[in-house]
Amino acid sequence: MTISLTVNGVAYQIDDSRADDKLVDFLHEDLNLTGTKFCCGIGVCRACTVQVSKPPNPATTPMISCSTALGILDGSVVSTIESVAQDGVLDEVQQAFLDNFSFQCGYCTPGFVMASRMFLDDLRAQPVPADQLEDAMMAAIGSHICRCTGYVRYFEALRPLAEAANTGQEGQR
Amino acid sequence: MNIPKPDKGTAVTRRAFLKSTGAGVALTVIAPSFLLSGQARGAGLNTGAPTDVPGVATQRIDGLAKVTGQKVYARDFSAADMAGWPDNQWHAMYLRALTTDQAFEGVDLSSLPPQAQPARVVLGNELSQALRAPKVAFARDLHVDERIAEEIAKTKRRATGDDDGSFNLPPDVVFDLIVVPGNIPNFLGQAVALLLFDSLAAYRSAKSAIEFNDKAFQIYGSGLQDGPPLGEAFSPTTTYVKFGDEFSYATADPSTYMDQVPGYQSKIQQTLDSDPNLIRQPFATDMQAMDPMFMEPEAGLVWVDGASGTINVVLGTQSPDGDISNIMSMYDSDDAPFHLQAVNLTSCYPGGGFGGRDSSPFSLMLALAGAYSGGNPVRLSYDRFEQFRVGLKRHGAVLSGEVAVDSDMSLQAIQMNLTFDGGGRRNLSPYVASLGALCAGGSYAVPMANIFGEAKHTQNISGGSQRGFGGPQAFFAIETALDDIAAAQNWDPMDLRRANIVAEGGATVVGGPVEQSLRLAEMLDLAKDHPLWANRAALKTEYTVEGQTQYGTGIAMSLQAYGTSGDGMVASVLLNRDGTITVQSDAVDMGNGSATTLGVAVGPILGTNAAQVDMGAYTLFGMTGLSTDDSTGQGWDNPHWTAKSVGSSSACLTALHQVHTVRQTADALFQGAILTAATNIWGVSPLTAGDVAWQDGALVLNAGGVTPLSLAQLAGEIYAAGLPYGALGHAYFQNTWAEASFPTPAGLLPLQLDGLSFYLPGGTDPVFAERQNTTGPDDASKRYARYVWAPCVNVVGLTVDVSSGNVQIENVLSVLNAGHIHVPQLVSGQSQGGVAMAISYTLLEDMPPGMDGPANGTWNLNQYHIARAGDVPLVDGYTPGQRGQQLVTLADLPGSPPIGRGIAEAVMCSIPPAISNALRDATGVRFASLPITPEKILGGLGQ
Repeated sequence: MTISLTVNGVAYQIDDSRADDKLVDFLHEDLNLTGTKFCCGIGVCRACTVQVSKPPNPATTPMISCSTALGILDGSVVSTIESVAQDGVLDEVQQAFLDNFSFQCGYCTPGFVMASRMFLDDLRAQPVPADQLEDAMMAAIGSHICRCTGYVRYFEALRPLAEAANTGQEGQR
Repeated sequence: MNIPKPDKGTAVTRRAFLKSTGAGVALTVIAPSFLLSGQARGAGLNTGAPTDVPGVATQRIDGLAKVTGQKVYARDFSAADMAGWPDNQWHAMYLRALTTDQAFEGVDLSSLPPQAQPARVVLGNELSQALRAPKVAFARDLHVDERIAEEIAKTKRRATGDDDGSFNLPPDVVFDLIVVPGNIPNFLGQAVALLLFDSLAAYRSAKSAIEFNDKAFQIYGSGLQDGPPLGEAFSPTTTYVKFGDEFSYATADPSTYMDQVPGYQSKIQQTLDSDPNLIRQPFATDMQAMDPMFMEPEAGLVWVDGASGTINVVLGTQSPDGDISNIMSMYDSDDAPFHLQAVNLTSCYPGGGFGGRDSSPFSLMLALAGAYSGGNPVRLSYDRFEQFRVGLKRHGAVLSGEVAVDSDMSLQAIQMNLTFDGGGRRNLSPYVASLGALCAGGSYAVPMANIFGEAKHTQNISGGSQRGFGGPQAFFAIETALDDIAAAQNWDPMDLRRANIVAEGGATVVGGPVEQSLRLAEMLDLAKDHPLWANRAALKTEYTVEGQTQYGTGIAMSLQAYGTSGDGMVASVLLNRDGTITVQSDAVDMGNGSATTLGVAVGPILGTNAAQVDMGAYTLFGMTGLSTDDSTGQGWDNPHWTAKSVGSSSACLTALHQVHTVRQTADALFQGAILTAATNIWGVSPLTAGDVAWQDGALVLNAGGVTPLSLAQLAGEIYAAGLPYGALGHAYFQNTWAEASFPTPAGLLPLQLDGLSFYLPGGTDPVFAERQNTTGPDDASKRYARYVWAPCVNVVGLTVDVSSGNVQIENVLSVLNAGHIHVPQLVSGQSQGGVAMAISYTLLEDMPPGMDGPANGTWNLNQYHIARAGDVPLVDGYTPGQRGQQLVTLADLPGSPPIGRGIAEAVMCSIPPAISNALRDATGVRFASLPITPEKILGGLGQ
């Protein structure tokens, strides 16, 4: 028996004896994808957040890779920070975080990027009333821990992207 | 934005030879090429002509690598990533002491399953003396170091029977890295065994079995205490007694100062007791230790190549200089397992620091593991439980004393005892206690002071140089005490502070002069007029819900010093053949933005920002031709002497110290070489800086008539004519800068540097330029302790839920004197980060000492709560009705030079007392014990 897993577009077959191994360890040790960060290891800080979907359902879910066993990911599609920039061009979230000096040490940044991207996707698919947007942002990234920059600049960066995604006016920003 | 593809392997950036007790040891510092590829394009600085403004940063220079998840942290690397390393990586794990009451007798790993058995087990009795107890050197403050030297002399006298002093440990001795079986551990978490695994699977299996179950694998019994008893103070302690202009630490004869202290302490008491009208406010505060909780748990790689005598280390540290020196001391001894000939350090960006990676024992534990892996690379990688268990902490502390004030609000005396929990291993605790003692004087001019600071050896996790360095504890004590006086006397707390602020021309409690404009009155006025303070009564009414929510406003201020009592810095500035600029600095960027700031600091001087900034280049000092050896006694008259080489990196050293060094070095390159090249090309009379200007990246002659020159053209002439293409500068600051004149191709050039060398085309090492007419800081000023300050006034508005005890910070106003601001976004980010960390420290981070706390190995973020976004006011600015934080920085004074102030922890330091003061305003109760948990609040409210 094997676990079928796709990471950043590449399919892997993993022996199910490793079903209890954590996703973050697989990313680091097997694939040398170290952009996903290990911090607390118990799923609290969310620095290790990756994007997971399970086809045919296209919906994506933020997943805590330090606490997610490979065994429950059979058939899943995983995207990590290494997959975000396309053809050498930064994603809008990455660019916004850069432009706003949102991070300092940067260790929490990949987790914030992944969660923010999924949040924007969710808004595009299912907008929320404008007066609930701040709460929605808080629900999306408010549990992530940043020790350096105090969160304000992450929210400042994400807010205009969220407003545009929520109103369908992204091209007009 | 296009992302450069990372290269594989590594690139050597610097090499130097360091003297050790034996022959010279070659030291090479290597930057991961991933970093170089990110920097080479000048990330954030040269992203396009419209934003390429010299002196202006559009994003962090390290930002691109970090936001795309490239390998930049030590934890990202394995042996397979390292060019030339063997691939068969081993894994290290340390077992940790569980008690300081019983002797460690050994380990019993028989219950580990076969697949979890280590390939090698190392106990303390197997280590050579140098490996078991390396002579770890700490050096931070020159005036404290002098007292340590005196303690060493005392220790020697005591050894010969000439002295009966009671000091416990020679300063260069620390406890065993691994406890020798039969000895009682010196502190909780001290290593008792090193387990080495030759496969990741075995390591993981063992970890799974041992973690949270240590007791099953360790054997304890009765035995010998090794080292001093718990409760002794680490030497030296600090005593600051000031009696008007008559006596102080800074002005008294150092050799008789302590002998005179008791007499002046009596005089202070007599003076206070003789005035029955004095208002005397006693105070007592305490605070628990705090974990820096930097996001990347410490990790690193080591490979000891015994055949070549080389240690290869991958590390992210704030103190590469001290760490490597200490590693060298482990292996550079007669009983070392091999003859050390070279150290190769791959220096990584730390994933946060806050002082927790400054002189951390981690580097020693990593290096130790490398000696026992049979020549295989070893990875030591703490998880968060281990990091909590052994990582350096902000000291828990107990502070008590008394403040005396005249009825006219005039402060008369501050008396304070500060006792810091230094924990088990002596780290920088005595220095922290010393700065805490200085901070006890707050922002005030006070005629009399009687302050004693000490750090005690306890069984707890070691305290280190965490953010604020004793300031957070001391400011909390003095600022809450002042607030209590104001409340008791029905004085406006702002007015009480205003009546006593220290200003230029005044003196600190140490007795050192304040020779810098502080602008405290202006800052208090700004805070007083701000609606968060001015409208506090109306806000209280607005927020208060009877029986449910109470609102309070608190003010506190801090006068956080930046730098130490003497700082040496080194930097090089290079003009590459293509006209781009490279800056190299000994500083480490922990995330505070040093690299970005130094990259733009050269912009106005050289017409463009640096395309590449190499940090952690501490081998640069070895190429300056300078030494701290003053065996001839010439001091500043010896052109090869300086008072200090380089030190550990702290965020507060960037804005003034490092920027100054880079700018002066860039100026040496500009005036010494670039102007000469322009003179040659244009065929004009020798130029001065006033004859030219930079326009759109080109050098123009103000008088016109010639074609502007690009940096690439100037570089072409420099390389063709054999002019210097780079400069290497060293600066020393101790209240004033050391200054000298240096020979250059353009003539003698006066600079605020004490060392200058030039890189010449075709040469390998920089060429020493012998300084002339040197003036250096006088020796006496080091006893001022500190010279430069980043004052901050904080106002906090908060609500308290009286039924739950929960506190919500509604608004924060921070008025900050940051001096000239190099990169506004970085200053703002440091402030916001400081606000978040301070809220967390004050209200959330609850870490008991002993085996009830993280020393038991079970602590993580599920127990230790860090402020999250919801705990922090997130609106950038002040808007009534919203939760926001506003940073007000002072504009440069007209005509003042663009000199910044190190503000790393400046905002953070006075947030905790402002919160406590706001709580007192809200509830009428003083909460003086940190953290102020909901349980304590309910207790204070009698519920």
